[in-house]
This record gives sequence, C-alpha cells and structure tokens, in this order.
Amino acid sequence: MSDTLTAPPSAPPDGASRRPSRLAEALWLVVPYVVSVVLAFVVGGLVIAAIGRDPFAAFESVLTTSFNTRFGTIETLHKWVPVLLCAYAFAIPLATGKFNIGAEGQLLVGATGGVALGILWSDLPMVVLLPCVLVAGALSGAVWAGIAAFLMTKFQVNEILSTVVLNFISFQLIDYVASHVWPDRGAGHPATTPVGDGALLPGIGQAPPMHAGVLLTVVLVVVIAVFMRRTSTGFEMRAVGANLRAAQVHGIRTSRLAGAGLVVGGAVAGLAGAIEVAGVHGKMLEGMQSNFLILGIIVGLMARGSMLALPFIAFGIAVLEVGAGSMQRTAQVPVEMVLIIEALILLFLLLSDIARAKLRRH
Amino acid sequence: MGEITEFLTLMIPAMVPFLLAAQGTVLSGRAGVFNVSQEGLMVLGAAVGFLVSFKVGSNTVGMAAAFAIAGVFGLVLAYMTTQLRLDQFVVGLALYFAALGAAGLLYREVIGVTLEPPLIPTLQDKPIPLLSDIPFVGEVLFDHDLVVYAAFLISAAIYWFMYRTRSGLAFRSIGENPKAADSLGINVTWARTWSTVVGSGLVGMAGAYLPMVYTGLYTEGMVAGRGWLVIALAFLGGWRPHLVVAGAAFFAGMEVLALRAQVAGIGIPHQFVLMLPYVATLLVMVFAFRWARQPSFLGRNYDRESRLVG
Repeated sequence: MSDTLTAPPSAPPDGASRRPSRLAEALWLVVPYVVSVVLAFVVGGLVIAAIGRDPFAAFESVLTTSFNTRFGTIETLHKWVPVLLCAYAFAIPLATGKFNIGAEGQLLVGATGGVALGILWSDLPMVVLLPCVLVAGALSGAVWAGIAAFLMTKFQVNEILSTVVLNFISFQLIDYVASHVWPDRGAGHPATTPVGDGALLPGIGQAPPMHAGVLLTVVLVVVIAVFMRRTSTGFEMRAVGANLRAAQVHGIRTSRLAGAGLVVGGAVAGLAGAIEVAGVHGKMLEGMQSNFLILGIIVGLMARGSMLALPFIAFGIAVLEVGAGSMQRTAQVPVEMVLIIEALILLFLLLSDIARAKLRRH
Repeated sequence: MGEITEFLTLMIPAMVPFLLAAQGTVLSGRAGVFNVSQEGLMVLGAAVGFLVSFKVGSNTVGMAAAFAIAGVFGLVLAYMTTQLRLDQFVVGLALYFAALGAAGLLYREVIGVTLEPPLIPTLQDKPIPLLSDIPFVGEVLFDHDLVVYAAFLISAAIYWFMYRTRSGLAFRSIGENPKAADSLGINVTWARTWSTVVGSGLVGMAGAYLPMVYTGLYTEGMVAGRGWLVIALAFLGGWRPHLVVAGAAFFAGMEVLALRAQVAGIGIPHQFVLMLPYVATLLVMVFAFRWARQPSFLGRNYDRESRLVG
C-alpha cells in the first residue's frame, strides 16, 4: 500500500552532521502531530461554536478529565489497554501491508474464549485460572483472525472483507453465548454469568483500583517493540511492508508472513477481550467491544508504521475518549464530536506529508 | 400470495440499498478510486436523509440531501487522492470515521433525546399501470416504491454508459491503465473526481433508503454492516454493473431468508440464522476468486509526472 505508512524510519546519516540531523529528524516526526492536533481542535472548535456551544469549556473538560481525578486517570488507563491492543491488532498486519478491520470480532471471540474458561473452571485458584483465561482469549482471537488468514493465503480472499464480515458473525456468536449458553437472566441486557473469582485480574491501589492488565500491557509493549526491531521475523515483516516486490525477490515468503501477521494481530485483540472480561466487566456482555475497532484503526493509522509511537498515541486517544463523556455533560456537546476531531487529526496528519515534501524541496 | 412470490416481492426492495451503494462503488472503482468509506457514508446518508425528510416533510428532498452530503465526502476523497495523491484506503477510513461522527452529531443536535423516536412516512408503493397487472411478474417486479425502479434504472444507466458509449470505454480504460488513458487525452483527474462524487452520492442514497422503507425511524445500528458487504458485492460482481445486480439479488435474498427464518422459528437459534448472510458471503468469496476480475489500477493513485507505471 502506501510507503508513508509502512516505511521504516530512515537511517540517520553518518559523519559530522549526525547530531543536528537527528534533532531535525525528531522535529520532523513530532511537529506534524502537534500541528495536526492543533488544527483539528481549531476546526472542531469552530463546529462547536457553530452549534452554539462554548468550545473552550468543551475542550477544557475533554483534556482535563483524565488528570483531574484518580477515577478519571484509572478510567483512561483502562481504556488505553483495549485501544492500544486493538491498535496493535491493526498495525501488526499493516506492517506486512494487510488491513485488519476485524479487531472487534477478534476481541469478542477472545472474550468468549476467556469467559468460557472463567465460568467452566471457576473453582480453580487464580494462579492457574487467570493465565488460562488470558491465554484462551489470545488463542481464540488468533483462531478467529486465522480464518481470515487462511482464506487469504489459500483462496486470495481480500482480508479487508473477510475480517469485516467475521465481525458481524461474532456479534451473533456472543449474543448466542450470552442468551443461550451461560445467560444471566437478571442482567436486563444480554450478558453471561460472572466468571469465577480466580479469573479476575487483581486490582492495584485503593478504590477505584487499576486492574493488573495495564501492567501486562506495558510488558507487551516492550515485547512487541523488541520483536519488531530485533528479530528476523520482525525485520521480514517490515521489509514486506516497505517493498513487497523487493522482499519477494530476496526470498521472503510473503504470503505466509502476511498470514502470520494477521494471526498475531488477532491474538493481541483476543487478549484485549480477555482483559476486558477479567479486568473490567467480570463477565461478557453485549456492546463490550465499544468502538475499540475504530479507535484502534485511528491509532494504527496515526502511528504510521511506528510500533513505538502506538502506546503514546493510544494514550492520547484514551484521554479524548474519557473526556468525551464529561464534555457531553458539562458543555452539552455530543460525544460524536470527539470522533470527528480524531478523524480530522488523521486527515491533517496525512496532509502534513504533502506540506513536508513541499518544504523539503525548497 | 405464494411463498415464492412473497419472497421475491420482499427481496426486490431489499436489493435497493445494496444496488445503489454497489453501483456507486463500481462507478468510482472503474476509474481506479477504491472507496472504503461506504459504511460511514450509508450511516450519514441514513441520518441526513431521515432528518431532512422529517424537517421538510418530503422523502425526495431527504434522498437528494443524502446524495449531496455523501457527494461532498466523495469530493474530499477525490481531491485528496487525485490531487494530493494520499493513500486511498487511509483517506477512505478517515472519511468513514468522520461520516460516522457527523451522523451521530447531526441526529443528536436536531432531534435530541426523546422518549418517542420521531417518525417519517415510509415510501408508498407505486404500481406501474398495466405492467403490474401481469400475474406473478407484475406482482414481483412492478409493484414497489419509486426508489426501487430508480435503483434499477440507475444500474442500467451505468451499464449503458460504461459498455455502450465511447466515453464509457475511455472511462473504463482509466482504471486499467491511467497512463495510457492520459496519453490519449483522457482527463484522468476529472473522470476520477466526478465518478467518486456521483458514486459516493449513490452510497449516501442507499443509506437514506433504509429509514424510508423499513421503519420510518433512524437508529444508530440500522446500516448493520451493509456498507462493508457492498464492497464484497463489488468484488463478487467483478466491478461490472450487470453482475452486481445479480450479486445484490443474492445478498438481499440472504437477508430476507434470515429474517423469515427468524420469524418462522425453524428450531435453530435465531443467532445462527442471522449469521447466514455473512457466512454465505465468506463462502461465495472463496469461489469468487476464480471469476472475479478487478480493474488493474483499483486503489492506486495516478501521478502523471511519475516515470513508473503507477
């Protein structure tokens, strides 16, 4: 697909000019983000003013809710986990040039796998059960993405379509599980019965506690970064993404790698589902996928191929999302405004490439 | 009314959203612009079509408004991909998010929170005189609302334009080899722009049809993935307008089948019945690769200053 998305960062030139050029490179990386965010907020502010609300009040609650209270901070971190994991689910296959639009389904099927063990083996102690739940989630997500990977490598079925279609199958699947297999009749909403205590992620700190999935995610961030930078498979994936033809010529088995990328992405999304079950809800319920797919794609596209940028961008998006609710309460601006601002940031970020190319030429 | 007649009579209107959106996708696709914002544009079309119909009191104006707003999104897509040469998929996805956000924002701003959702009148059937009197055929084909006829006419018009006119031949060549087309004096940018605007507009209309034909009210999840199925449909139909009609019949048939099986209660949980259209889509895609062809420059931007082909 696009070179700008997947190109590995260019090597710094050697010699005397190293220091200033590194600084310049860093600036070239950071400045477009800052400018895009500012521009998106300006445009968003104009829209808010146009519908007769106060843009400053709106933005104040969007940007400060996450940091004003301990509750807000915890909520942001709890949102950061699934958003980031879904972003990986999108970005890892993207490194090989494949679009995974199925993180939502993979998350839900991962949650199903996790909740199944959490209910069936609810008597087991935590040391055994919790790892089982998390692994089951990741495996289920991997299997779900594996269907798309299989169809792609064997039958050349476009992965954008198969992953999207699998989302809609997964909606029905969890509805079946929540209403027929382990239904919680008292919930008033399709949901399963709670998992056993041993399946719950331990909380950290006083109430409201932060679940340990946040720490687990931090570990995963390091693992994925090391994997992409330091292993040969990671290098091959980046090579395929950067130039498919060149990678083929050099003997990289591209279709297998692309399939593997999808499966790994699915595993990460599945893990996100299991963490949501074990850390946030304690059960599986309809609508638990929120709009993590959309946010994951936004983050994945904003990171433009850098696995290191993902956690930070995901955090920024989590801040916006948590702020959106309070913006609606305090400034009467609908939550959808935040989605529009996010889309605008992405579009301005794309446009910055053009501006950058023009500036460099002069 | 026999079982088959009833099934087909339900299927024809169910084809309309697929037909309009897929023909719109095919139109821009044949010029090389692969739009992936259908789902968002359909949601936005449904919201705008509903709101305008509700405020103005005319479904026709609502449809036109949905066409216009989606056309504007198409214009942005066209400008960003033909003039600025940004990645088509990425811009398409960004527009999908923006359209989704705009739809929610507009509905919330215009309607607000209400206990009773507002309703618009659904489209009335307008039987075609004489033709609708033909037994079976008349009942199935010629006793529907006007949008149904319009959708089939638009499909026919797009087919006629692409395969029966000189400019249609030139138009199709852009999606196959824009450089060659350019060297023959065909304006690649213009063709890609108008086809993306019109195509996106049709996608918006497809969305607007949903609240107007089924329920008379707008709900957030009413598009339910049809926008994505439409892309599958364009692939299945090999980006050919006449085959897309057949594909739309298949998708609509699956939808009606799932709905009827759910109502009839055939012993299997309804969730599995509702999976049917999607599972069938996957299965058909497996076989589709044998026949499905696509424009060779689909999804790739054209830079006339580049030495490379594409």
